[in-house]
Amino acid sequence: MLEARAISRRFGRTLALDRVDFHARPGEIHALIGENGAGKSTLVGIIAGRLAADSGAVLLDGAALRSGASAAALRRARIAAVYQSPMLFERMTWEENLALGGFDAGAAPRELDAVAARARQIAAASGFDLPPPRAIVADRSVAERVRLAIVRALSFEPRVLILDEPTSLLAPAELKIFLAALGRLRAAGRIVVLVTHKLAEARAVADRITVMRRGRVVAELRAADTGEAELARLMIGALPMALARRPPPEPDPAAAPALTLAALTLVREGRRVLDEISLTVRPGEIVGLAGVDGNGQAELVEAIAGAVKLDAGSIAPAPGGAAVAVIPQHRDRDGLVLELPLWENLMLAAPLRARFAPRGLIGCGAARRFCADLLDRFAIRAAAGPACAAGALSGGNRQRLSVARALAGAPRAIVAHDICRGLDLGAAAQVHRGLAEFAAGGGAVLLISTDLDELLECCGRLLVMVRGRVHETADRDPERLGLLMAGAAE
Amino acid sequence: MRRLLAAALRPAGAIGCALGVVAIALALLGASPVAVAADLADGAFGNWIAFTDTLARATPLVFCGLAVAIAFHGALWNIGADGQLIVGALAAGAIGPALGGWPHTLAIAAIIGAGGLAGAIWGGLAGWLRARRNVNEVISTIMLNFIAAQLLSWAVHGPLMEPSGAFPASRKIAAAARLQLYFPPSRVNLAMLFALALAAVCEFGLFRTAPGFELRALGRNRRASAFFGVPIARLTAGAMALSGMLAGFGGAVQISAITHRLYETISPGWGYEAIAVALVARLSPLGIVPAALLFGALDNGSQAMQRADGISPQLVYVIQALVIIALLAFDASAAGGWREAFGAGAPAEPNAGAEGGDV
Repeated sequence: MLEARAISRRFGRTLALDRVDFHARPGEIHALIGENGAGKSTLVGIIAGRLAADSGAVLLDGAALRSGASAAALRRARIAAVYQSPMLFERMTWEENLALGGFDAGAAPRELDAVAARARQIAAASGFDLPPPRAIVADRSVAERVRLAIVRALSFEPRVLILDEPTSLLAPAELKIFLAALGRLRAAGRIVVLVTHKLAEARAVADRITVMRRGRVVAELRAADTGEAELARLMIGALPMALARRPPPEPDPAAAPALTLAALTLVREGRRVLDEISLTVRPGEIVGLAGVDGNGQAELVEAIAGAVKLDAGSIAPAPGGAAVAVIPQHRDRDGLVLELPLWENLMLAAPLRARFAPRGLIGCGAARRFCADLLDRFAIRAAAGPACAAGALSGGNRQRLSVARALAGAPRAIVAHDICRGLDLGAAAQVHRGLAEFAAGGGAVLLISTDLDELLECCGRLLVMVRGRVHETADRDPERLGLLMAGAAE
Repeated sequence: MRRLLAAALRPAGAIGCALGVVAIALALLGASPVAVAADLADGAFGNWIAFTDTLARATPLVFCGLAVAIAFHGALWNIGADGQLIVGALAAGAIGPALGGWPHTLAIAAIIGAGGLAGAIWGGLAGWLRARRNVNEVISTIMLNFIAAQLLSWAVHGPLMEPSGAFPASRKIAAAARLQLYFPPSRVNLAMLFALALAAVCEFGLFRTAPGFELRALGRNRRASAFFGVPIARLTAGAMALSGMLAGFGGAVQISAITHRLYETISPGWGYEAIAVALVARLSPLGIVPAALLFGALDNGSQAMQRADGISPQLVYVIQALVIIALLAFDASAAGGWREAFGAGAPAEPNAGAEGGDV
């Protein structure tokens, strides 16, 4: 049995965990749910030895684990964890990443071929795809990185497997196989701790659910005895507005498109990652683009932002202007400059740069005041206000900043990629409300996501992206859409 | 004010540490650290001439330090300030003798402008190669340093050699093109004020203008800059040209104010020393001024130290190197800059624990 007793942990003035007790039994999948900042990641970080607790103890089968134990010690105890942002060597191949450590390749731990073979074996048993041989990690999608980290963790046949929001990036088909793999681990008497913010998933997969709110455990329930409404209420205290469905916004049929892509083609390493993509988004509509991560969505966003040179096709309005705002998927890598203050990060967006630096001279006072106002309006928590470095914000707050910045530039169209990743219900609802208001005010939105529930809830028209191609579909059935995303119905 | 003090505290601590290590080494060698320090300080600041000599030695370090800092802010690792200074001096030394009939102000503008232009071309070439062909600027600027040094050597042995042909040096520049020395025999001249003004301009340009902001954003996150339409190629070429121009100014004023002619050894390695100056100043343009003064004082004081204590002036290089190592050890952010520069990949996500730790 895995047990955490009276764990407390403080970050500066914030009490992240307040005497938290947590139990997970062998042969069970235990879901840990809670809002952003509830303390989920901190708790699993302490259990996995990545963070030290200020007080309290973690016990595995009655034996105390030293807090902040080394990776090797945890491996001996067979505790493995997969985090939201997998820690990988970006410029190496995935085989080298595994060979370097944290992966049990059996007899020949430094033989890349042996490592790859073992990884494929584990991946096949779990139902995942791995990247092509010798692929560099930096070029792979987030989902592929997460899968790699999961394979790495599974290689040790851990007794305790901790998964911090791994499923938000998996496609429905992958998810099914992945959850089945978790079921096999459960059958083998392992302990699986699944951190998630998806209530339906927690209820469907887990045997027991622990709910956290503001650094405390508020409930431990049997999954069979509860419902989504109860879980949501426990998590946030009240039902969020998003759970009450509203009709997706209707476009104005007479209006000229706010964003037009015509036969976009991009070839990388001989592969057509974007294959003659044509689509239009009209003012007032939110168009959903569904697809398994890594089918060209990231490249599409890069192309619309003007960050890559296309091999063929055209984009109207031309990239780089103020008319289209882009919210990239990797907010830290592509969306923010973590060392710079918040107000300067706002100026990264071309329209805001033009606004606060007319004729090239920056009006610092005006930019800071604008930033402070924006932080206020979007409830972004920044201890030091506009002068705070972007890197000092929590992930959820960084995400809200990205969205706020896109909206603040008053563009005609917004292209948003995976904007709710890692956001809890309340924050996601807030982001969606922002986009819906933007659309209601005549803005056009292209919402790219792997999360079908999100797209079905927010979007009017639906598109599906498979292997660099885009198809429009009128189907709203999640099961059949999942098949489309997997490329079954071409 | 308190922030400024805190910012100055770290370099001060690092310098203290380095000096402590040197003191121990000197004591082990049997010399009195106190006496050596006193002689060093005396040689650097002991009298009017010593003090103004320190200023004269610090001046090219300010120009080159600014050049380095501007480029480094854009993560453009310009190791070529030395070559850019040399071509600046070369251009100044080449046109200087021909400016005889010109009005003084115009001749000064011409000689300094020529130096700046030559430096801008030299730096801009590396920037253009980086922007267009993705040539690593560390390599191209080092290669351009070699070319500049050989170009200078050929010039003073060949086309620009003084008429008697006895010395590898150029003809003296025209009197009109010489920056006036105030209070001779001290070497105080207007170039020092020019350097100060440039430091202020660089500070303003980096932190208060849109291109300066874009350059800093580019240097810290190239991918995000690409996503948000920052003109990367233009900034890269432009920043390197600007960087080269600043170093080129340094070469030109050295000819115009101090040497009045070209020598093969016009630069004792200022462009390289300037990298240290810029790092000690933590890339702050205003901080370059005191940092350059420190290094200038060490250079200058080392002569007196040798005369009085028989300690090799090379000890000063040891001190400078120790200061930089201590500084990197004291200053995690500077170390981070270098780590990123040499391609350890994306920086680790510094989000854990920043605001509650839970993402």
